[in-house]
Amino acid sequence: MSKNSRITMLNLGSIMKNSHVHYIIFGLVLCLFPMMTSAGGMKNSTLSTLAFVLIFSIVALGLNLLLGYSGLISLGTAGFMGLGSYIAAYVQDDLGLGFWVAVLLAIAIPTLIGLLVGIISLRVSGIYLAIATLCIAEILAKTFEQAEWFTHGTAGKQSKYPTIFGMPMDRSSMFVVCAIVLVLVMMLTYNIVNGQLGRALHAMRSSEVAAQAMGVNVLKYKLFAFSVATLYAGLAGGLYLFFLRSSYPSTWNLFLSLNLIAMVVVGGLRSILGTVAGAFVIFAFPELVLKKLPVIGDASGLPYVFSGVMIILVIMFFPQGLKGLADLGVTTIKTVFSRKKVTS
Amino acid sequence: MDLIIQPLLRSLETGSVYALAALGIIIVMRTSLVMHFAQGSMGMFAGSAVAFTFNRYGVPLLTSILVGAAVAIFLGFFVDFAIIRRLKRATAVGKEIITLGLIMVFLGLAPIVFGTDPMNLPRIIPRGDVALGSASISYNGILNIAIGVFIALGLFLILQKTKVGLAVRATASNESTAKLMGIPTRNVTLMAWAVAGLLGMLAAVMIAPTTMVTPTYMTAVQVSALFACVLGGFQTFYGPVIAAYIIATCSNFLKLYASSAWGDQLMYLLILLFLLFRPNGLFGKTYMKKV
Repeated sequence: MSKNSRITMLNLGSIMKNSHVHYIIFGLVLCLFPMMTSAGGMKNSTLSTLAFVLIFSIVALGLNLLLGYSGLISLGTAGFMGLGSYIAAYVQDDLGLGFWVAVLLAIAIPTLIGLLVGIISLRVSGIYLAIATLCIAEILAKTFEQAEWFTHGTAGKQSKYPTIFGMPMDRSSMFVVCAIVLVLVMMLTYNIVNGQLGRALHAMRSSEVAAQAMGVNVLKYKLFAFSVATLYAGLAGGLYLFFLRSSYPSTWNLFLSLNLIAMVVVGGLRSILGTVAGAFVIFAFPELVLKKLPVIGDASGLPYVFSGVMIILVIMFFPQGLKGLADLGVTTIKTVFSRKKVTS
Repeated sequence: MDLIIQPLLRSLETGSVYALAALGIIIVMRTSLVMHFAQGSMGMFAGSAVAFTFNRYGVPLLTSILVGAAVAIFLGFFVDFAIIRRLKRATAVGKEIITLGLIMVFLGLAPIVFGTDPMNLPRIIPRGDVALGSASISYNGILNIAIGVFIALGLFLILQKTKVGLAVRATASNESTAKLMGIPTRNVTLMAWAVAGLLGMLAAVMIAPTTMVTPTYMTAVQVSALFACVLGGFQTFYGPVIAAYIIATCSNFLKLYASSAWGDQLMYLLILLFLLFRPNGLFGKTYMKKV
């Protein structure tokens, strides 16, 4: 918190150093994209791709908290996201309870299931969470296909844009909603990481045994990290549905979960802006760039290979991810400038 | 009677597939200390190679299987030599994420290398059934059961009775001590990855006739094999094999008597609940963690 204490001086420089301000500026920049689209400067499909980057960033932020601080892997993230999306559709369209109830339930029910799974599997060593969540994802995937009354099976659930505060939404305004939610989630994550909870998580990361000896209830904080991850997944699932207005069982497979892990790893563990950058690289880069390449662009498995190779390369050679790359760039620039000062 | 014997025979058949895949996971787990999530997808890739050589070039099935074996061994060597071996400094989680990355690589490569169309792979013994009372089993089913049981028993014999087996067990028990004792632990892990690849390929070839060869056709086997390792415990080599047969039996009987659509899912829930009472699995032992 030493950085934040300087804000009391209230000059512009210190406000610019506040991470929350960074996130808000980032959100404002994001809000320019729908304007660019309506002005014809950007294709609608590109805007959709970017919206999915924002939505996946939300999930990846939760996963980063889980993976970065407690070293746990969840292979069921896509399942929880899918559950959130179907609940949102069911509550909004079939029950007609409106946007807010839909979002609330899309968050609450996956989190509750996540808590149950966590309580069962976290008592055993860490790797069991990966396997337990894998199993929950399989169960959920089966549910999405079989529970026709709830999900319309493989035909897919159709929905419509919600009405928020009496305003009917469309593609551009839903993009803005996604951006606002992402900024809020980034701020919340920042506060979690830099508060008392974050200190406990940090202690746990460097040595679980030492943290335990200092009175940190390791099980409780692992459970907390996992619940936050499922909470973000449910929320993002709801947003996904409201943006795309449909949900298919085939979307919520293991490979989405793996892609989300790739976003965290590539973006850099324990980095908030890095995670968003990672989501962009893993999701948008194959969509916007790789698909347009000649010859290899048509290959259906290419995005998978790209994500897989990125994961392996980053862990082997650059464990800090994009965050590390950015830090490296900043230090290089700083040393270059300071050297100039010395010579002049 | 046939309502008990028939599913039992089928369980032995699928159990053999799960057992081979689980054996691969546990051998890698014990020697390289990596949870091998990519066992299924590496098996899928080698199995697709078998189906590809069989369908595209009209090579006899057994020769195609030899080609698949070569692919599997090469992949195993390559993954250990080029990736896992260079990860000495990475954390356990980092290694696991690497195997997750491998899933995506093989899954994406399969349609690029072998084409996007689903392929068929016939049985090794095309036809013929044996009647056992009112139940019946195909010759191919008997062959699958035999392959599973003999390979499992053979591996246990090698592990327990030979010098190579001793080296593997020593590496599994403590790698740095084993290295100090003069055991070439690098070769042991290299071999473990190759054996895991071979076992995965065999599992893939055995399960292929019941379905189509697509990039995701081994997912169910992978999940079941992981569950076999959890249920059997990670500390022994035989635990996961026995658990694989238990899982196959449970799944078949649940599908028959509880629900045909939800059988596997019910079983997953049962295993999760079982872990509440025996967190280290059926044959697992608890070790106190030293600080």
